[in-house]
Amino acid sequence: MNKSEKELAGKVALVTGGTKGIGKAIADKLAAEGATVIVTARKPSEEKSGHHFIAADLTVSGDIYRLTQTIIQEYGTPDILINNVGGTSSPAGGFQMLSEEDWSRDIELNLMASIRLDKAIVPKMIDKKSGSVIHISSLNGKIPLYQSNFSYGVMKSALNAYSKTLANEVAKHGIRVNTVSPGMVRTTAMETFLQSYAQSIGKTVEEAAQQIMDGLGGVPLKRLAEPEEIASLVVFLVSEGAGYITGSNILVDGGTFPAV
Amino acid sequence: MVKSEKELTGKIALVTGGTKGIGKAIADSLSEAGAHVTVTARNPPGAGNFKHHFIQTDLTVPSETDKVVRKISEKFGRIDILVNNMGGSASPAGGFTALTDEHWENDLQLNLQSSVRIDRAVLPQMVEQKSGVIIHISSLTGVLPVYQSLGAYAVAKAAMINYSKSLSKEFTPKGIRVAAVSPGMVKTETMEAYLQSLSDTSGLSVEDVTKNLMDALGGIPMGRMALPEEIAELVRFLVSPKASYITGVNYIIDGGANPSL
Repeated sequence: MNKSEKELAGKVALVTGGTKGIGKAIADKLAAEGATVIVTARKPSEEKSGHHFIAADLTVSGDIYRLTQTIIQEYGTPDILINNVGGTSSPAGGFQMLSEEDWSRDIELNLMASIRLDKAIVPKMIDKKSGSVIHISSLNGKIPLYQSNFSYGVMKSALNAYSKTLANEVAKHGIRVNTVSPGMVRTTAMETFLQSYAQSIGKTVEEAAQQIMDGLGGVPLKRLAEPEEIASLVVFLVSEGAGYITGSNILVDGGTFPAV
Repeated sequence: MVKSEKELTGKIALVTGGTKGIGKAIADSLSEAGAHVTVTARNPPGAGNFKHHFIQTDLTVPSETDKVVRKISEKFGRIDILVNNMGGSASPAGGFTALTDEHWENDLQLNLQSSVRIDRAVLPQMVEQKSGVIIHISSLTGVLPVYQSLGAYAVAKAAMINYSKSLSKEFTPKGIRVAAVSPGMVKTETMEAYLQSLSDTSGLSVEDVTKNLMDALGGIPMGRMALPEEIAELVRFLVSPKASYITGVNYIIDGGANPSL
């Protein structure tokens, strides 16, 4: 192999929610490895990213169709699909704080957006007999926190089950599907979430973050992850070196998950 | 203790989807243990010996939940045991691409959201009592998904397990135990109808689709499906004072099918 050849040269990647935080870190690292990266989000980022940007709201089916068609016409079927979009705006404070709308929104953003986009793209990967899909989940899918994001954890657990099910189904077509479950990651989205949580419990942001870490049982590495630390695992998982890895849910959590 | 006293004497129980199959077996078992049992279902129970209170309702309709809980409150003044048994799927086999948004929505509503609503309606009463037990009947597919025919159902049941755990962490400190029970294949009318429908759409015999489903789970060491009564036995134990330290668990009852620890 030519020394200057990069790991993902010639590959086309789509990263959802790819304009900031974890999504942006993933997009940047994929591009650094030679991939052509398309990012999608509801709005473009303020600084130029160097990636092709397509605006789309993944909770709207028409947008998914338009996004997929645009990409396929211009680039062909993507080799790599990173379902990174997700999050929650549901109130903290436990189960009884959650309205029907809160549940619906969390279902749409954390589960259905991935399902719909996979449905548009995975069959085309099947035609090509190759492709790699990643679902960005959360440690809360395995360690739910009722105080701070009850319904988010439930839907991430659903996403984990869905990702595993899909992996089992499409493995025979040469497509790998994996889940990545970050613990707490230092992003503006996390900052926003901590601010709102801190306000709801009447504490400082530092105290709120500590409370969440305590609720998880403590973080051995005693810090939040950097987005790049999540991205580096994702880049590995979509590379050829991870060719036997499918149907896995890999935690990047600073050691938080307590069980063997 | 008087020898004839049963372990759930005086307890008020609600079992959703309690007119047949696993739900009926649970209702019968709790009643045998001395509880006053109310069951809900969309259709009244068939002819035969049905001895529980019955409220006809469709709990996938949000407004029905409060109506049911109010009726129980008026009649009994309390609720000690809630068994979220209703669930199921009308989604087609054929893997991922066979599932439309509507299938996903229906499976999530029937298997997750309806529990969310009734738990939400019942919890204030239990919190006031400082006691209660909530059981979520999930499914082995929640941890061992079967993509060929149960993709959306499995995802909803997985969500239910996380949801049950979260609820237990929040409400156990207030005196309420919450646990999930995940049966493997159970011999009920619903299962038989489901196997028949798989047979109809695939052209294979019912025996063959049954075997295929068991194989998809990796085989069942016990070599057979569970009887509804066997699931009910576990639920009866879990809601009883004997299970006083058990909360936040997901108990798989599957004849040994789950291969991992």
